[in-house]
Amino acid sequence: MIWTVRQYGLPFLMALALHAALGLWLKGVWQPSKTESDIFKPKMVASTLLVLEPKAKPTPPPRAQPKPAPAQPDAAAQAREAAARKAEAERAEAAALAEAKAREEAAARAEAARQQAQREEAERQQRLQALADSSFLNSLEDESEDLAEAASSDAEAVAQSYRFGIYQKVVANWSRPPSARNGMEARLQVELVPTGDVVAVMLIESSGSAVFDQSAEAAVRKARRFEVPQESAIFEQYFRRFTLLFKPEDLLR
Amino acid sequence: MPEQLSIFELIANASALVQLVMGVLVLASLTSWVMIFQRWIYLRRVSVDVDEFEDHFWSGIDLRELYRELSSADDLSGIEGMFVSGFKEYTRLSEQSSLDTEAVMQGVQRAMRVSLNREEEKLETHLAFLATVGSTSPYIGLFGTVWGIMNSFRSLANMSQATLATVAPGISEALVATAMGLFAAIPAVIGYNRFSARVEVLMKRYETFAEEFTAILYRAAHAKR
Repeated sequence: MIWTVRQYGLPFLMALALHAALGLWLKGVWQPSKTESDIFKPKMVASTLLVLEPKAKPTPPPRAQPKPAPAQPDAAAQAREAAARKAEAERAEAAALAEAKAREEAAARAEAARQQAQREEAERQQRLQALADSSFLNSLEDESEDLAEAASSDAEAVAQSYRFGIYQKVVANWSRPPSARNGMEARLQVELVPTGDVVAVMLIESSGSAVFDQSAEAAVRKARRFEVPQESAIFEQYFRRFTLLFKPEDLLR
Repeated sequence: MPEQLSIFELIANASALVQLVMGVLVLASLTSWVMIFQRWIYLRRVSVDVDEFEDHFWSGIDLRELYRELSSADDLSGIEGMFVSGFKEYTRLSEQSSLDTEAVMQGVQRAMRVSLNREEEKLETHLAFLATVGSTSPYIGLFGTVWGIMNSFRSLANMSQATLATVAPGISEALVATAMGLFAAIPAVIGYNRFSARVEVLMKRYETFAEEFTAILYRAAHAKR
C-alpha cells in the first residue's frame, strides 16, 4: 500500500494537475461564441439638424490704446533741468528721482494694461454667453428632448423589428403568381395568439388582382407562426391584431 | 436559439453513450499520463543507478567487499540485484569441489539470466497499457463520434426545416469524442515508443554487464584451479 502510494502518488498528482490545467485552459479559450440576438434592431439614429448660425458679433468697442506716457519727456526734461541747474553734485539724487518716476509710470502702464485685459475678457465672456444662449444650448436641449422621446418609443422600435421579421417570413413563404406586378399591394388583417400562431387572416384592401390577394393570404397562412415579443404588453398593443401591408417590390417585372 | 457552445455544455448535452465514451477516454488519458510520469521517473532513476553501479564496479573495488556491502542493503536496484545473485551463485557453487568450472559458470549464467528477466519484466510494466491506449483510444473516440452523428442525423429526419444550425451542435458534440480519443492516444504512443526504446537501451547495458561479469568470474574460477 505504502509502496503503491510512493510509486504512483507523485505521477498521479502530476497527471491530475495536467488534466485540470487543460480543462481550465479549454474553459478559458473556448468561450461560447457571441450569439447575435435574433431581434432585428433597425439602426435608428435620432438626428436633428443643428444650425449654428454665426451670430452677429457685437462689435468690440474701440480698444483703448495704451496712451504714450506723457510723463517721460517730462522726467527727462526735469532731469536735464536738474542736471543743468545743480550741476554734477546732485546727479545721483536726480537719477534716483528719475528712477522713482519711471517706476511710478511703469506701474500706471501696467494698471492700464490690466484693466484693458479685464475688459476684453468680460467682452469675450459676454459674446460666448450670447452665442450659447441663442443657439447651441437651445438645440442641445431640443436634441435631448428628442432622444427622450425616442427612448419612450422603445417599445415601438421593438415592435418595428418584429414587424420586419414577420414581413420577411411572409415574403419567404410567398409563392409569386405570374400575374404579380411591381407596385401591387394588398392590406391584410392578421390576428395572432401570444405564441405567435396565426389564427385569422382577412383581406382588408384588395390589390385589384384576386390571384395576388389570395397568394398574399396564403403566404401568411403558410407561415403559420411568427416570432412575437415575449412582453405581453407589446404583443397586445401591436400584434394581437394588426394590418399587414403586403407590397413585394423585389419583382423584376 | 442562442446556443451556448462552450465545450463543457457540449459534453453535458451529449447522449449517454457518447458521454460514456468520453468518460472512458478521460480515464484512459488520466491513467496513461500517470503511467507516463511513473515510468519516466522510474526509468530515470534506474539509469542513474546503473551509471553509479558501473562506476563503482569498475573503480577497482574488491568484488567480495562489494558483495558484502550490497547483500547487507535491503533496497537493491536491478543491476545490483543481478550482481548479487550472480556472485552468490558463484560462491555457493565454487565451494562444492565436485563441480568443474564449466558447470559453475553455467550456474552463474543461469542465475543472472533469471534476475535479468525479472528486471526486464519490471522495466516493461505499464508499457503494454500505454500501447493499448495508444492504439485503441482513437477507435473508441471515433465510435463516440459516429454514434453522435448518427443520432444527430436521425433527429434531423424529424424536422421539417433542416438548417445547418440544427445539425451543427450535434456534430460538434460528437466530434469532441474524437478529439478526446486523439488527446489520449498521442501521448500514450509517444510515451510507449520512448520508454520501450529506453528499456531496450537499459537491457543492452544489463546484458553487457552480465557478459563482462561472467568473464571476470570465469577468469577467477580458472585462476583458482
